Amino acid sequence: MKKVFFVASIVLIAALLTAGLASANGGPHGGYTATTDACAGCHRAHTATGPNLLTASSTYDLCISCHGSTGSGANTNVDDGYYLSTRDDSGGDWNHGAANTPDNAPLLGGGFVNYKGAAVTSSHVPSGTVAAAWGNGVARGATANLADGNLTCASCHDPHGSNNYRIINETVNGTAVSVTQVDEGAAKDYNTEQWADSSISQFCAACHGAYHVTRAGSGTDNSDDGLGNTDYGGDISTFAHRVDMSYSYGGNSNPETVGVISGTTTYTLPLAASGTNNLVVCTTCHLPHGTSATMSGVAASNPGPAGDSALLRLDNRGVCEVCHQK
Amino acid sequence: MREPEGMTTDPEELQEEEKDKKKRRWLLLLLMLLLLLLACVCWLAFRYARQPEPLPEMLPVDVNYPPHYLFSIYGVDRPVGVAVSPDGERIYVAETGGERLVKIFDREGNPLGSFAPPHTTPAQRSPVYLATDHLGRVFVADRLQNVVFVYDEDGVFLDAILGPELSLSEYVAEQVDGFQPEDMFVFNWFEGVYYRPASPEEELAEAAETAGPEEGARLLPIVDIAKWGPLGVRFDGEGRLLLTNTSGDHYVCVVPVEALGATPWRDFNPIPVIFGTAGQGDGQFLFPNTAVIDSQGRFFVTDGNNGRVTVWDREGNFLFYFGRGTGEGAISLPRGAYVDERDRLYVVDAVSQQVKVYDVSGEEVGFLFAFGEWGLDDGQFNYPNDIALDETGRLYIADRENSRIQVWSY
Ligand code: HEC
Ligand code: HEC
Ligand code: HEC
Ligand code: HEC
Ligand code: HEC
Ligand code: HEC
Repeated sequence: MKKVFFVASIVLIAALLTAGLASANGGPHGGYTATTDACAGCHRAHTATGPNLLTASSTYDLCISCHGSTGSGANTNVDDGYYLSTRDDSGGDWNHGAANTPDNAPLLGGGFVNYKGAAVTSSHVPSGTVAAAWGNGVARGATANLADGNLTCASCHDPHGSNNYRIINETVNGTAVSVTQVDEGAAKDYNTEQWADSSISQFCAACHGAYHVTRAGSGTDNSDDGLGNTDYGGDISTFAHRVDMSYSYGGNSNPETVGVISGTTTYTLPLAASGTNNLVVCTTCHLPHGTSATMSGVAASNPGPAGDSALLRLDNRGVCEVCHQK
Repeated sequence: MREPEGMTTDPEELQEEEKDKKKRRWLLLLLMLLLLLLACVCWLAFRYARQPEPLPEMLPVDVNYPPHYLFSIYGVDRPVGVAVSPDGERIYVAETGGERLVKIFDREGNPLGSFAPPHTTPAQRSPVYLATDHLGRVFVADRLQNVVFVYDEDGVFLDAILGPELSLSEYVAEQVDGFQPEDMFVFNWFEGVYYRPASPEEELAEAAETAGPEEGARLLPIVDIAKWGPLGVRFDGEGRLLLTNTSGDHYVCVVPVEALGATPWRDFNPIPVIFGTAGQGDGQFLFPNTAVIDSQGRFFVTDGNNGRVTVWDREGNFLFYFGRGTGEGAISLPRGAYVDERDRLYVVDAVSQQVKVYDVSGEEVGFLFAFGEWGLDDGQFNYPNDIALDETGRLYIADRENSRIQVWSY
């Protein structure tokens, strides 16, 4: 019975997937044609039975066979947050995808084990062991379980390919999500500058709805998300920051990134495009995979996950200072 | 004088006594024989214990004969590479978890030590495939450091290969006037090349361990090694080094044995054989993991993301490929490979959780058998990644997610 279903799904999925999905840099995700046997790269090539038709118990173990620190099947080493090959592109900066970077440029998503050469201090836990997500239909600072079980790589990405940026799932935690890619060319590769548009906030909001605050102003007006959804309560300045608004500074009214120079180092945060505007989004302050930023003092006592770095891009409240320079 | 008890002078009894004596002598002889036999058995058993596996020539003539599980070596964190010293006495294991060290074990699985590139942190290194040459030196490909590090059998750092035609000591010699073989030099992709002239009171190995930006060491200009990212490491019977490269382009690089004499390799000028490019077509690779050679001199390359093994002639001309698709002998995600002295090709298939074995003695390739299945028990695999054989018929398999090396035998 299972076999029949599998064969039927193969035909169906192969047919669906031929509908023009581009695969990235020789990746096994999507881009299938009816004649390719690319499924075998992740599903058993012979007829032996396996749990869930997959070859082993954990999705993470499968993904990491290629995307791990050994880089033996992909250049995107998500364990260490490095791109393991040289990229040929002039212009651009790694904050927005590829540039003329040598080996080991940091990945846009961050890392699950290390990031920028140091052990991570917080990450999304991709090993299929945690289901409780902050603000998932509940108040900010509280948690509720995801609709389809524990978080894995496949909660966010569709290994079979999708029409979204970085093969992000078209349905996340039961919510339809569409994340558009913005780049220099249409190709999904790592040799051109490319990043997500502002719809990336909606992707995060599929699991952390309460943090998706879009209404202007502070104080009492922040009880809901500004989209007329649930009344989540809580104060924006402690729990959440407004997103999906444009930011301007200096003479530049529509920057792609914002930055400050402190000493000899420039700290930059990426904004995301929406039409011709660039907006503040969740990934302006957070890395989707994991960070090695360190927190101390007040910054270490955030009300949510006890005292960790909450996937923040910069040490302490460095992210705040980039825009609100004192 | 008192006669001893039981002695008699009665002739009949004497006859009986004679018989008894004879019997006893016989028994004694038998006992001696038995003892001799026991000694023989003991000696054989001792020899057997010293050499637990039958020697290769005692193997069944039929090559279609799967091995069996012996035991596992634990104490490694997510191992991805395994190699055996030429005498079969040392097992080297590259781990991706924990401290990301190369660990040394004896044949019984007792830990003997560990090593890593000098002056690197765990987050800066990622040892993957490794191999030993006929001198017992250990060659380790590091995917974050983008080079092949070379150590002596105890893990003392010797030199590194920075490109098809560049060694670390050669680079240092170019940069430094009066470079001496005893001078300290270390490579760290993220920081640069440190160099310090030898001082008489310091041991080279010790110096390499503690070297760094501190006093005395000089930071040399950055080496441009873009597009060099070695992954697979193997040696062939002639002592040539077979590397695969996955940074920039994807290809196989064969370093001739003449280039690999005593270190430091100040004049590293091999004329490498290079073949293949990145892609899905004939003569192309997507993440070639290892290259091995059969007795005819043909190359077999595990073409990871293309799910096949590609075959090349001695000169590096593409011949054919096999293993793509479904059915018997088909491969999902080929990784580490090995050819034994009977021309059996072993391919570790990480996704179907098996080792697949092919007969490559003829012109065509024949599938023989596969062993292993997914699981956490003895003899079961959880994303296996590499295999090495020794001359006593032992197989060592890096069982990544089970964090162990499985030892199998014929
Ligand atoms: C057989 C090897 C392999 C496996 C297994 C694999 N990937 Fe990939 N993946 C690749 C390669 C190759 C690319 C192209 C980019 C690169 O070289 O890293 C890629 C690209 C991606 C991308 C970026 C896509 C884009 O549009 O830029 C994502 C996201 C991704 N993989 C997620 C996953 C997840 C999640 C899993 C586990 C379910 C997985 N991969 C398993 C090889 C693999
Ligand atoms: C990059 C790895 C990868 C490739 C290539 C791949 N799959 Fe999958 N597939 C997965 C993963 C991971 C899951 C489990 C997803 C999850 O956990 O939600 C899965 C789930 C499935 C399922 C659902 C099974 C279930 O029990 O829910 C089907 C059907 C399927 N895949 C078919 C295919 C077909 C057909 C192909 C080839 C066109 C293919 N897959 C190629 C990784 C892959
Ligand atoms: C919480 C959701 C989430 C989880 C879980 C997740 N990813 Fe991602 N991943 C993202 C997002 C969002 C991006 C896009 C980052 C960007 O470009 O800003 C991304 C990017 C990537 C990329 C492209 C390289 C890069 O970072 O730019 C790869 C490859 C990838 N993910 C693989 C994985 C693998 C493998 C896992 C599991 C170990 C995983 N992801 C788990 C959300 C997730
Ligand atoms: C301006 C920077 C900024 C932006 C934009 C931002 N966050 Fe945060 N986020 C933070 C900081 C700082 C923390 C940790 C301290 C705290 O909770 O106040 C945090 C914490 C979190 C937490 C952890 C739980 C908690 O309450 O500490 C979640 C979940 C979260 N953010 C989700 C989101 C989502 C989803 C978005 C987009 C809708 C978003 N964030 C946008 C700065 C930001
Ligand atoms: C598929 C559901 C899902 C999506 C999509 C998702 N998250 Fe999460 N997130 C979780 C879960 C579950 C946790 C708690 C467990 C963990 O840390 O992995 C979490 C934890 C967090 C935390 C707290 C981490 C810590 O331990 O400090 C932050 C911050 C966060 N998410 C931000 C984001 C941002 C930003 C995005 C969008 C790029 C996002 N999340 C997308 C499920 C999700
Ligand atoms: C990407 C730039 C950017 C970053 C980073 C940033 N802010 Fe803001 N912040 C803004 C903008 C723009 C506004 C004005 C929003 C509006 O019009 O409501 C604002 C407004 C505020 C306000 C006033 C309340 C309100 O909603 O008007 C507070 C408080 C605040 N930010 C705190 C923070 C803190 C704390 C951080 C660090 C966690 C931070 N900001 C990081 C751009 C940023």
